[in-house]
Amino acid sequence: MAERVFITGMGMITAIGDNVAENLGQLRQQRSGLGFTSYIDTIYQQVLPVAEVKHNNDALFALAGITSHEGYTRTTLLGLTAMREALRQAGITDVQTAPTGFINASTVGGMCDTEKVYFDIVDPTKSGTFLQYIDTLDCADCTQRIADTVGFTEHIATISTACSSSANALMFGARMIKQGFMPRMVCGGTEALTRFTLNGFNSLKNVDKQFCRPFDQQRTGLNLGEGAAYLVLESESFAKANNSRILAEFTGYCNANEAFHPTSPSPDGDGAYEAMKAALAMSGRTLEEVDYINVHGTATLNNDVSEGKALERLFGNNVPLFSSTKPFTGHTLAAAGAIEAIYAVLAIQQGLIFPNLNFKEKMEELNISPVTELMEGVSVNNVISNSFGFGGNNASLVISKYEG
Amino acid sequence: MEDLKSKLKAQIIEALNLQDTKPEDIDDNAPLFGEGLGLDSIDSLELMVLLERQYHIKVEDPREGRKILQSVQSMADFIQSKQPA
Amino acid sequence: MKVKCYIQGMAAISPQATFEGDVFSAPLVHTDSNLLTCMEPDYKPFIPANSLRRMTRLLKMGLTTALQSIRDSGVEAIGPIVTGTGKGSLQDTEKFIREIEQYKETALNPTPFIQSTYNSVNGLIALQVKGTAYNNTFVHRGFSFENALLDSMMLLAEGAPNTLTGALEEMTAEHFYIKSRIGFWKSTPTDSRQLYVQQSPGSIAGEGATFFVLTGTPTAHSKAALTGFKMLYKPTEAKVAAGLAEFKENVDLVLTGRNGDSRYEHFYRQVDTLFPGVPQLPFKHLCGEHDTAGAFGMWLAAQILHTQQVPAQWFPMLEALPANINRILLYNHFYGEQHTMIVLERV
Repeated sequence: MAERVFITGMGMITAIGDNVAENLGQLRQQRSGLGFTSYIDTIYQQVLPVAEVKHNNDALFALAGITSHEGYTRTTLLGLTAMREALRQAGITDVQTAPTGFINASTVGGMCDTEKVYFDIVDPTKSGTFLQYIDTLDCADCTQRIADTVGFTEHIATISTACSSSANALMFGARMIKQGFMPRMVCGGTEALTRFTLNGFNSLKNVDKQFCRPFDQQRTGLNLGEGAAYLVLESESFAKANNSRILAEFTGYCNANEAFHPTSPSPDGDGAYEAMKAALAMSGRTLEEVDYINVHGTATLNNDVSEGKALERLFGNNVPLFSSTKPFTGHTLAAAGAIEAIYAVLAIQQGLIFPNLNFKEKMEELNISPVTELMEGVSVNNVISNSFGFGGNNASLVISKYEG
Repeated sequence: MEDLKSKLKAQIIEALNLQDTKPEDIDDNAPLFGEGLGLDSIDSLELMVLLERQYHIKVEDPREGRKILQSVQSMADFIQSKQPA
Repeated sequence: MKVKCYIQGMAAISPQATFEGDVFSAPLVHTDSNLLTCMEPDYKPFIPANSLRRMTRLLKMGLTTALQSIRDSGVEAIGPIVTGTGKGSLQDTEKFIREIEQYKETALNPTPFIQSTYNSVNGLIALQVKGTAYNNTFVHRGFSFENALLDSMMLLAEGAPNTLTGALEEMTAEHFYIKSRIGFWKSTPTDSRQLYVQQSPGSIAGEGATFFVLTGTPTAHSKAALTGFKMLYKPTEAKVAAGLAEFKENVDLVLTGRNGDSRYEHFYRQVDTLFPGVPQLPFKHLCGEHDTAGAFGMWLAAQILHTQQVPAQWFPMLEALPANINRILLYNHFYGEQHTMIVLERV
């Protein structure tokens, strides 16, 4: 019998807060982090809203506790800030006290900083301090800098499956624990806004010029966001021996591919359906036991139809309460799965259902609509968290209340 | 109009790298997507880029794009309607 | 780590003529440009023309190698698809960065952005083989392929019938230049055949796509078994030695990732000390140095075990070999940071 996997620490930074408590506060007050960018050099500065972390890099160095500035990208700094909180919350002062693996997720590595100096880097006539960013573009750079700063020396990896990256990082970590390779894993992802990604999604014509409206008939696309989040996962035996404070149990997960289209989901949500169904089966929970679904809900035309159809197929006329928290944080790509996994834990701990901001009009293709007001005092025992990405990559996680 | 359509066909072939297709293989009214040339939604985005780069016409709404990009004829009609008389 | 799996099929596109035919009788391809470039096959028999037209080089290489490895395995229904790539499609990334600048952020073609996504090849493979199972991509320099391998072995242990596991890497002129600015390559043109003689800082660049079909149980077609596995992150020399020592028993041949880089050669010298009298073969003069060169090393080891042959023309340094090669240890590292050890056995 494989070990159960518990969540024993969480840390995050997003446009709505520098830590978990601040995020919770803003969620409760229904305050969105969307606005216009202060740090990206783009012609869309006043056109396309984003959910940016409200600190420049100098301030982030302080938050991340870094004194040497050489070659640290915003991706790394956001990651370190969230990592330090996760370890602190789990009571880990020295990661070397027990074998601890680190699974990170990133979609474009340190692009946020390299794109600013790229044409200097490829110009043989130019030389200068920008060269310190030369090897920060790939996704491993942020992982290794975070690992080296806090002292991870055991298993490390970086996953990149677009918008589902950190959900897959959590899954990989949980599986390493279950197979007995490691008693403790820290998993999540980090993402900084870039001109590259903003233009990428804009070239796909799925960025909304207004604040995004998930599951609304009038939605026209997503807003990008940035942030980082990590969760400490521990095996049951380790958590008990270590006397860890258990925040929730990670009871189920599934990664399934749609094999439908390079970027678009299938109209009936085949991949989303399979991922949710299998994750729930693994958790041993029934359909009726699901209290809340934190949907992927990017507010693109295709995602919300596809995901909504999948919900209706799986749950029939009894679709649980659901909402997208993307109008709070923007779509944080590689960090989204971990950020929303933390929101799932908060929903369980606090008895909250977060509202799906900006929703007005039900979609004509669906019979369901999301929760639009904050709900308090709800008994939340099981949450499904969805993250779906390019390449047909669908990941669903089930997070459950810890019950001994 | 005929000139515009044949120019457009050559531009479509180049933009979408339709190696085995010649301009004369493309019927003015044949659907570009699905059965016709077998193009997909990414091609439709690329064709909108073509309109923007070559004809300086911006198509904002993908839903509108689908109508404009039905065939070479519909694209040509659209381009002509946008050009100053 | 306690792991075991079997290689049922494999394929490699590399700077050598490894893709089809009698791969081991092909002449040695060499270069003095410090960059070994892949010999690419005709992609048309593998990829429908309508899909091929948009794909850039790495996507074609990756997808085709994956399909060839499936053919080689005879497996009908492919389960999970797991890959590793350090850099993904550099050509697309570079193109999108350039077009953002050139067109001032307007009228951008989405294709390079889509294809620059690290898991784009995974998506394409899944599309073409209708692979709806688990799908994952690791992007961690010299641990990219090896994490994909670990993930695959976990999937097999969890009951997956098979996995398609691979690695892909390309080198572009622009990226070659970028890495030359931080000492990745030798500063003077070096004959790849003299790579191990000319010890100096840096190596020669390479690229490749390598795929395996793996299963948890052996079949009549199994080409080799993977029986030992270790990854070490920024280890000390002592840690490397201790890791290697775990695999000391009955090794007939050691394949090393030696690359002529004088800065990190000392790690490979641990092999000389720990395995006296055991023949060693380096492989980077065949594939060049890159993030997922370890996958090529594993392909080579499996070929040697399966055919019980070592192509003499590829290894001018070859001395006496045992009559039977039953167990090969592969030790590789990427610029001293990610160290990997893999044991393959004859089946």
